[in-house]
Amino acid sequence: MEKILEVKDLELSFDTFAGEVKAIRGVNFDVLKGETLAIVGESGSGKSVTTKSIMRLLPDSSTRYKNGAINFDGKNLLSISEKEMQKIRGKDISMIFQDPMTSLNPTMTIGKQIMEPLLKHRGLSKKEARTNAIELLTLVGMPEPEARMKEYPHQQSGGQRQRIVIAIALACNPKLLIADEPTTALDVTIQAQILELMKDLQKKISTSIIFITHDLGVVANVADRVAVMYGGQIVEVGTVDEIFYNPQHPYTWGLLSSMPSLDLGEDKLYAIPGTPPDLLNPPIGDAFALRSEYALAIDLEERPPLFQVSDTHYAATWLLHPEAPVVTPPPAIVERMKKFPGSRYYEEKHGGES
Amino acid sequence: MAEKLLEIKNLKLYFNEGKKNEVRAVDDVSFDIYKGETLGIVGESGCGKSTTGRTIIRLYNATDGQVLYDGADVHTKKSKAELKEFNRKMQMIFQDPYASLNPRMKVLDIIAEGIDIHGLAKSPKERMERVYALLETVGLNKEHINRYPHEFSGGQRQRIGIARALAVEPEFIIADEPISALDVSIQAQVVNLLKELQEERGLTYLFIAHDLSMVKYISDRIGVMYFGKLVEIGPAEKLYTTPCHPYTKSLLSAIPLPDPEYERNRVRVSYDPKSHNYAEDEEVKMREVTPGHFVLCSEREFELIQQEK
Repeated sequence: MEKILEVKDLELSFDTFAGEVKAIRGVNFDVLKGETLAIVGESGSGKSVTTKSIMRLLPDSSTRYKNGAINFDGKNLLSISEKEMQKIRGKDISMIFQDPMTSLNPTMTIGKQIMEPLLKHRGLSKKEARTNAIELLTLVGMPEPEARMKEYPHQQSGGQRQRIVIAIALACNPKLLIADEPTTALDVTIQAQILELMKDLQKKISTSIIFITHDLGVVANVADRVAVMYGGQIVEVGTVDEIFYNPQHPYTWGLLSSMPSLDLGEDKLYAIPGTPPDLLNPPIGDAFALRSEYALAIDLEERPPLFQVSDTHYAATWLLHPEAPVVTPPPAIVERMKKFPGSRYYEEKHGGES
Repeated sequence: MAEKLLEIKNLKLYFNEGKKNEVRAVDDVSFDIYKGETLGIVGESGCGKSTTGRTIIRLYNATDGQVLYDGADVHTKKSKAELKEFNRKMQMIFQDPYASLNPRMKVLDIIAEGIDIHGLAKSPKERMERVYALLETVGLNKEHINRYPHEFSGGQRQRIGIARALAVEPEFIIADEPISALDVSIQAQVVNLLKELQEERGLTYLFIAHDLSMVKYISDRIGVMYFGKLVEIGPAEKLYTTPCHPYTKSLLSAIPLPDPEYERNRVRVSYDPKSHNYAEDEEVKMREVTPGHFVLCSEREFELIQQEK
């Protein structure tokens, strides 16, 4: 499939009073046409910084791009001028933020805010832009779109505000939509509506989506592929089934085990011990090793490369090295692996027919 | 049946009462909380679940109705001494660990504030020792005592909030979305801590949240609120396997689970409050479907629920 976006060896630091924060430490991924790539990880893992660097939204004064390239449409987004970037931002790549209240302008009517990208990027006349804006509001499922045009963001509920933000983001039929925790601030019922809306719209206009979230339930719902980030690196990437049913990295095991399931009656919840790494002095080797009970001696010395599990599935853990000892994942993970054809537990259960 | 610790009877809390913009945040809600249990309250934002919690602990004065704690009404006039005694028994843990700790106070003083007010420590040494013990209980170090809240991560701050609540040795703790602001891996740590403390000290919790999977994990019983009303309450297991109220069903069908296979087949049902079609003379009240499992319904709906089983 066609690659829309390619992030290559991205390394990025912030200069702070405390020193250099190495926020992104070598990140590689692609986004294919029409797919949804979910990026998961805890706060500080670098998921938002990665996407903000795609949009070039990080402050120039304190951000240092140390290495790497972000290729989009034949251009390296890190080397083009701000003026060129402005032509891409909101047109070819657009973004939905977490908090719909702060991402809308409280002093502008909804109509004006939706018309803005239409006037600027698509060069429509005011009249055309207005009709278009009403169409967009209808598309995102706002009742009485014409009346909404004259209203202000504060008159809308949280879910409706997020619909407006989506309408603005989709105004120019972007090739890539970045959604940074778009449903975290919303209730479950509203979240479900917004997710359904996004999937629906994706089918209609076939844009690619990068979906950032820490809610694994949401990931299972929307994603085609998943990238797991930890300590400024991607530690595992694969299709949604590979990540949920055949995870390889101990951090992914920890994340999946710490979610209570609705049908299992666990006695005690698995909690990943410790706290996320300090990126002022990032650990040598595997950043997760200090919190992992599966850590090997080499994890503290050398950073693991991405080992290939399948054509689409890669994980950065020394456990996949041919000489590594065979470990048994946590029970909840073994349960998951039983469902996945190709994992060693699946074969055991079915008498190893493959 | 276990002993009742709290009885909430026909509790009402209206904002702007009698005015045009009256808001019935809590509208005729009744339930009991038993000693040593965790009661979870779930619902969308604005359904009144936090307001219910805050009214129980008397951060708001109830418009009508009663909150009986060990038989004594929380909302009647009290002398200062009575009020103090009462406040000691009931504590609260807040959602936002950033906003709920005074940024200008050291951890020592934050945790010891309650100890000082209630005169629980006889000497400065004892005060210090109590704080040390509390820090250890919640999994923090002695060295943390002279630090300020901004020096801690979200999960650690929530632990400080928990230590502060425990400082006065309460019997009952209201936890208002205590984990919503935390990362997934840290959420599990805090929930496990709350559970351990409950076992050790026989605490009773009112756990308010919108994350239903966590609520089910921690709660013995769960209540579901919708627009100021309690629509269903029952044992956690029952509520999840056999929800009766259409709103509960819709809420459960909206939760995404970390299981792609399940997600592909999940069908969401939406809830329309108009679908009840209550006639004017119909009495809509809590009715017991199975022992301990109550649903807000009319006589007609009640019969339907009975037939379905």
